[in-house]
Amino acid sequence: MNYKISKGLDIVLKGKAIDTDLNFVLSDSFYVKPDDFRWLKPKLLVNEGDMLEVGTPLFADKQDERIVIVSPIKGQVVRIVRGEKRAIQAVTLRRADETAVTRQIDFPEPKDGRTIRQLMLQYGLWPCLRQRPYATIPCPDAIPKSVFISCFDSSPLAPEYSILLRGKEVFFQHGISVLQMASEQAPIHLCMKQGADNKIFESIDNVAKHYFSGPHPAGNVGTQIHRIAPIDKGDVVWYLTPQEVARIGRFFMAHVLGFEQRAALTGPAVAHTGYFNTVYGADLSALFANRLSVETVRCISGNVLTGIQLADIPTLRFHDHQVTVVEEGGQREFIGWLLPGFKKWSFSHTYTSWLMKNKTYEHNTSLHGGRRTFMMTDVYDKVFPFDIIPLALLKACYVKDIEQMEELGIYEVDDEDFALCEVVCPSKMECQKIVRDALIELRMDN
Amino acid sequence: MKNTKFNALFEAIDSFLRTPATVTTQGSHIRDAVDMKRIMITVMIALCPALLFGLWNVGYQHFIRLGYDTTVFGCLWYGFLKWLPLVIVTYVSGLAIEVLFAQLRKEEVAEGFFVTGFIIPMIMPPDVPLWIVAVATAFSVLFAKEVFGGTGYNFLNPALVARAFVFFAYPSVISGDSVWVSHAPQDAITGATPLAMVMNGNVEAMPSMLDMFIGTIPGCIGETCKIAILLGALILLVTQVADLRIMLSVLIGGYVTAVAFRVGGLCAVPGYQQLLMGGFLFGAVFMATDPVTAAHTQTGKYVYGLLIGILAIIIRVLNKGYPEGMMLAILLMNIFAPLIDYCVVQANIKKRKKRVLNTK
Repeated sequence: MNYKISKGLDIVLKGKAIDTDLNFVLSDSFYVKPDDFRWLKPKLLVNEGDMLEVGTPLFADKQDERIVIVSPIKGQVVRIVRGEKRAIQAVTLRRADETAVTRQIDFPEPKDGRTIRQLMLQYGLWPCLRQRPYATIPCPDAIPKSVFISCFDSSPLAPEYSILLRGKEVFFQHGISVLQMASEQAPIHLCMKQGADNKIFESIDNVAKHYFSGPHPAGNVGTQIHRIAPIDKGDVVWYLTPQEVARIGRFFMAHVLGFEQRAALTGPAVAHTGYFNTVYGADLSALFANRLSVETVRCISGNVLTGIQLADIPTLRFHDHQVTVVEEGGQREFIGWLLPGFKKWSFSHTYTSWLMKNKTYEHNTSLHGGRRTFMMTDVYDKVFPFDIIPLALLKACYVKDIEQMEELGIYEVDDEDFALCEVVCPSKMECQKIVRDALIELRMDN
Repeated sequence: MKNTKFNALFEAIDSFLRTPATVTTQGSHIRDAVDMKRIMITVMIALCPALLFGLWNVGYQHFIRLGYDTTVFGCLWYGFLKWLPLVIVTYVSGLAIEVLFAQLRKEEVAEGFFVTGFIIPMIMPPDVPLWIVAVATAFSVLFAKEVFGGTGYNFLNPALVARAFVFFAYPSVISGDSVWVSHAPQDAITGATPLAMVMNGNVEAMPSMLDMFIGTIPGCIGETCKIAILLGALILLVTQVADLRIMLSVLIGGYVTAVAFRVGGLCAVPGYQQLLMGGFLFGAVFMATDPVTAAHTQTGKYVYGLLIGILAIIIRVLNKGYPEGMMLAILLMNIFAPLIDYCVVQANIKKRKKRVLNTK
């Protein structure tokens, strides 16, 4: 089936990754952060000094202790980094040697879905899955209504999946059949970009194939689920990225457990973009050396819309496949609100820049204005491709009116679906935070 | 001055002079360069053609009634001298209250009043006493906006509330035949607006269609020149600041109703002429499109606009007391806009419930 997304926005940024390998050399420091897994409450299972194998559980989720986050490497626990109220911020690991990122595991060929789910839980592959609603790790007992795999990323400067999956094609294929068993034959939806290089995905049988066209968020799984099989209260849909499918596939096909990630270094502040291989939790500090073109920068794990700032501990988040570097903003401009703004980027047409043919805009992290109340009431609708009234839902979320949120379709959305609303909002509303806080409230209520 | 009791004022002036130094801390890392200041300045730019013509017209109407010859610049200067005190009084009285409330709430001063204060002098008669403008502005800012929580929480258009206040509290300065021309001599040719002529059955004396379109007729500063208003509309639409849905549906609603009255024999003027008279076009372009007080849902905007057009013409034709219906029509629909939105939102909810039933 073909789906055309008409509402949305492709933000043009400089610095898309070119198809070269950056030859990133891993250091021996690794950090596993509970915050990478949404709303996971960690219960520590290791102590400082413990020796680890790839797949040794580091912490479990207090809400369901079957869900464990495992060590991505063979080595030793160096330190447990704690923050306020002794909350675990990261488990610091040291790798034993350069080959210590995979592990051969022997297990009898699983015959049913239950065994597969058990193995995935045991070896820390279960957290590759996320579920809608809430975008959390799914409960191992709930069988999903369907499984969604978005086969393209439409967010700004997103890497090409054909490059990320290079060499992992067979694992991806096997991963799909594993997921079919794990989900007890729930329908699997592969959502591809119309006209893109879809060779890997088109060869898969026994799945529903969908083709999307149009601007971002066409590649967001939320948009795709909404168009194909909308979620209602009580439904659970699993979703995961193609790299994660390949990771699961490799484990069940070659019996190799490993948490390698291939990712792209992108962004307007990067002089030499490209792709690099890393392992979940690896320290990325060395990645930025001699590759940036600006001095004061913000490094982001993920894209500029939904990523998080890399602060003291620069690692790629568990589900990410992109690092974006943008210039830090905050430069003040004399009567900037009055000037023509030839180089200012705006979705609105209030700056003259929209008339310019050469589309090189200045992008930095400036907020460009003060926080106001909801005022421009039609701007969200232009970038929100859901049959949901965004302003009404945001207001219900803001006041945490759970009944109203449910009626207005909160189960279908995640905060990332509101990222574009947040970008274009002249009142500088923190739309993603409003939705995320509401989802927390909703989850506690249910 | 920062972090003192003048913080709100300091912040307002500081961010007025230089764009703020704030950077994103959560959510999306890059943001649109547009902010409410930019939106408001765009609306003010869109108002400028109507203002410039209006200033000239104030002088022109004054001088031709007195029988003087004058230059373009002379008319403009006369109008400017009439307008300047009005605009100063409006901004001083309105902004004082805005800053005070922003300080009490420990918020930044919102930009909404820049446009409100710009519009108020454009919809008042040129000779309106300044103290009445000050009182009306203060009333509207206090009771139409601040008591509800400030800009963004108001459900009535503050500029129209100011006008309605004058209209009901001091009717003599804003109604009748003589108020729309500055210092109109009592014995000279009447300064009645076309609307008043229609109401009094004096259709023969009406100015030509071309005069009404160009705007060389008595009226408020902002409303007379339809060319300038259409130019403003173009600016608002091209910059995507105002909503075409509302503008179009107000015009369609007004036109259809006017034609219906004409066919029904209740009104002597043709339909299109109703759209050129009085503040209909100015209201449709600059007042009805206020995003805060209009309907917020996309479908709701059509209903909201249509009803404004329909009501404005109904009030004009059927109510012999008020020659102009646009102000009351917009204020009335401001009050009903939340109800329209409620219906649209409920329809969306119903659709979702139906989907659940179908899939289960």
